[in-house]
Amino acid sequence: MRWLASELHTHTFHSDGRQTLRKLASGAAKLGFDCIALTDHNTMSGLGDSELIERETGVVIIPGMEWTTFYGHMVTIGLQDFVDWRKTGQSEIHEGISMVHGRGGLAGMAHPFRIGSPVCTGCYWEYEIKDWNDLDYIEVWSGTFASVKPENRRAFALWTDRLNAGIRIAATSGRDWHEQANTDEPLSVTYLGLDDEPGTISQKAVRALAQGRVSVTVGPLVTMEAEAAGALYGIGESVTVQNGADLIQLHVKIDFSVRQTLWELPKQDFTLKITGISGTLAQCAAGFADQLYGFSIPAYGLIWARAELWGVVKGVRTMVAFTNAIYFEPVATE
Amino acid sequence: MLLNVSGQLAPIDSKRHITHQFRLDKPAAAIQIRFAYGPKLLEDDGQAKELIMISIGSYIAPEQQSPVREGWRRYLPLKNLLTLSIDDPDGYRGACHRHDAEQNLFLSEQEASDGLLSGKLALGEWSVTISVHSVVTEHCSYELSIWTEEADTA
Repeated sequence: MRWLASELHTHTFHSDGRQTLRKLASGAAKLGFDCIALTDHNTMSGLGDSELIERETGVVIIPGMEWTTFYGHMVTIGLQDFVDWRKTGQSEIHEGISMVHGRGGLAGMAHPFRIGSPVCTGCYWEYEIKDWNDLDYIEVWSGTFASVKPENRRAFALWTDRLNAGIRIAATSGRDWHEQANTDEPLSVTYLGLDDEPGTISQKAVRALAQGRVSVTVGPLVTMEAEAAGALYGIGESVTVQNGADLIQLHVKIDFSVRQTLWELPKQDFTLKITGISGTLAQCAAGFADQLYGFSIPAYGLIWARAELWGVVKGVRTMVAFTNAIYFEPVATE
Repeated sequence: MLLNVSGQLAPIDSKRHITHQFRLDKPAAAIQIRFAYGPKLLEDDGQAKELIMISIGSYIAPEQQSPVREGWRRYLPLKNLLTLSIDDPDGYRGACHRHDAEQNLFLSEQEASDGLLSGKLALGEWSVTISVHSVVTEHCSYELSIWTEEADTA
């Protein structure tokens, strides 16, 4: 499967960014991104040149818009048409999301725990969510060196909490990239797993996010498959568990060759963890080389599992990468 | 002049949209918009500190609040933020979500200011929406003027 290195949260002069789309896309290309989503605040006018700039830079540009409202910022991507962000009250976000879905778009919470108004207007999510199944994703890592920031840890914990509640929802990173500025801080990459179905790369990327085929990292790409009753299931897929006494085999792959030379981590032994509803289900040491790791996890009580890679980044022990979840459901009984 | 209005806002107007309508009755080559508001900044650090502390109390996890309170000055200066979006008789023509307290914008068939969509300047009812994201000063006044450049009839 091809994993598309993506940056899903960006801005240009068309809102409050300090860059043209051309500059943004060529900056993304230099950093090894295959794809960006343009998510200017409340406008899609910056997409006028996007096909030309895709050809010039080789970077796929997913159309999008960040709803920049009084009660939260909601990133919407994959839709060609404008959806009005101004009419949705604090208790009406589901109407807004269904309009986005109606136009073929996905909706995600942007930086849900960033400090809100008046410091950062509308930045903290205050829309009332009645059904979490409606939201497609949560941007759990916002900004650079995201994993260590308290607001992102809260967002990550929110995601875990939703998975524990049985919700199937994706998790992404987003730099909220406003300008071409050099930084020493680690950059997160959201990898989207492209399927072989018909469509443009942009459409496949959006479909990958819709289906939870997502893996996020500041360095190596971590992917996972579950094997049950002889069949293989990828990230985002659902495994039907025939018997709670079964063991699920998880195969985790760590690929250090992605975006080679464009990220740097100290040579070290990482910790590879499998997490699920009851916390850490299994873990092992992982070296600084491409390798496959196998885990046997009892199916009983399992509703989701993800892989997490932990290590030392800029002197801090933190999460380096995480996959999105594989889901498990017991076979329906009579 | 298609529209020339001014208004006075106060903190209580935060999180409101204010819509001003205007009619385009004659074909135009361009629509020009000037929007300005002020003051932009809350200069009184004492008042700013009070608002920042309220934000920290509401939005930062309890166990993180104490270091964030120590560093409250990093959030200075607090700003008023008003943004514009425009609708023509057929729908949305974009938004200018940026911090500039004075914006000179235009729309025409071929081109438009960043954030706005170029395209036909249809006759009929247009509107400009001022989204009051935040007013942190006691008063904030705005002025909005809209006029056309004549279509070339030669």
